[in-house]
Amino acid sequence: MEEKELDLWFVAVLGSAGLLFFLGLWETAVRAGLVDPYFLPAPSTIAVRAVEMTTGENAVLPHDIRMSATRVLTGFLLSALVGVPFGLVLGMSAIVRSVFNPIVSVIRPLPALSWIPLSMLWLGIDEQQKYAIVFMGCFASILVYTTDATMRVDPILKRAAMNLGASRLQVMRHVVLPGALPDILSGLKVVLAIAWTCVISAEMVGANSGLGFRIWTAKEWSDTGQVLVGMISISVTVLVLDILFRGLERLLLPWQRRGTAT
Amino acid sequence: MSGPLIHLDSVTKVFSSRKGEVVAVRDFSLAVEKGEVVTLVGASGCGKTTILNMVAGFMRPTSGKVYLEGKHITSVEPRCGMIFQAYALFPWLTVRENVEFGPKINGVPREVRREESRRFIEMVGLEGFEDAYPGELSGGMRQRVALCRVLANRPDILLCDEPFAALDAMTRQVMQQELLQIVARSGQTVLFITHSIDEALILSDRVVVMSARPGQVKAIYRIHLPRPRGVDIQLTDEYMELKRNIWGMVEEEVRASMSV
Repeated sequence: MEEKELDLWFVAVLGSAGLLFFLGLWETAVRAGLVDPYFLPAPSTIAVRAVEMTTGENAVLPHDIRMSATRVLTGFLLSALVGVPFGLVLGMSAIVRSVFNPIVSVIRPLPALSWIPLSMLWLGIDEQQKYAIVFMGCFASILVYTTDATMRVDPILKRAAMNLGASRLQVMRHVVLPGALPDILSGLKVVLAIAWTCVISAEMVGANSGLGFRIWTAKEWSDTGQVLVGMISISVTVLVLDILFRGLERLLLPWQRRGTAT
Repeated sequence: MSGPLIHLDSVTKVFSSRKGEVVAVRDFSLAVEKGEVVTLVGASGCGKTTILNMVAGFMRPTSGKVYLEGKHITSVEPRCGMIFQAYALFPWLTVRENVEFGPKINGVPREVRREESRRFIEMVGLEGFEDAYPGELSGGMRQRVALCRVLANRPDILLCDEPFAALDAMTRQVMQQELLQIVARSGQTVLFITHSIDEALILSDRVVVMSARPGQVKAIYRIHLPRPRGVDIQLTDEYMELKRNIWGMVEEEVRASMSV
């Protein structure tokens, strides 16, 4: 059975209607006294709280978002900068792979959060520690995604390139890297979400700024509104970064947009 | 001294795996002269592709040697340009970029390779598709791009591994005629693998019939059919006589390979 493709505008209208209905239901439930606003404030209350936190003298939200996003991106980019080239080498050489596989296998199953105590012992709670957490949380995954992507590149393409006179290094630069790029990028997209988990958790445990810190402090003060504003901010920020990432993907992979892949 | 362009000197290739050893090619000798079109025909699994891979330098013989103009081939040899059945185009490069890949890698200046690629793309009738990606092209067009890409690299010999096998019958005939024209114009040396006796007869100066595994030379036919060989040559008595003879040879081997 074939499902009909819906018009984009229609999809947007349906989506907004669904969201509005949900918010309306919530608002009504709180106002009618069915839900205690202490546990769950009405959307309108949260909106007011969000405006307070964004503008006015106590505008902490933009700063928190900036801090968290900077930590995520710095740690993530550093990790990718080291992990992607290293993964390419692992993917291309069975010998290097054999040497490093056991080490990677030990590091990879460690949840990113398990690095928090060690990183605090080593680096305290300043910015470097946040970068380190993200770096460690992302590195093994980036490595594995890149290695797998590299190994999936059609060997006949490498042969064709060598047949046209490419050296081993040129094959890596002109065939393996672009050939593995689609899979590397989808891997990085998954890892970016892991990076957020790392940062939010690290900020809850030890920090004095950032969205994780904000939510945790608000909890101490039983400020449910602020907790929810913080959570929504995380969600929106991640969404925005994801959209930017998709844009980057389209920019880097123009050949995947048109026609079918060979 | 002018020896053959390609010389396979009693080449044997053994593949060993956990299940044991398979002799793919045994004691295979063949000399291809400059400007010649030689076709290898034979049953599936008779080691045709293995021979081509050894000439290209993708694999080395277990014993025996392969020479290019007297020089022992020990690694991938760009002077032996390969056309793959699966096209092997780089999907992230446009038609033009694919064609310019070899020249670019080898440091040919931008203007020169642009001019060259334009000429080759025009030759196979793909003008207007320079900026298309391979994924947007039909099979016949993709194989034309692959042909351009190899020719732009100016190989001494063109190695063709059943390049038209994945194409429909009509596209295939058109491609054969195009290849013939290119060969006639440039005097390009070609070593061609095919299952199709018709293809072999239309293209070749010599047809080498191979035995079933392990691949050995069973017979060599020199094809004196007049050129250019259009489609109607297939109706002449001489052609049909050759086809009958070769088919007789090949059939025996196909049966032999199936009874294993």
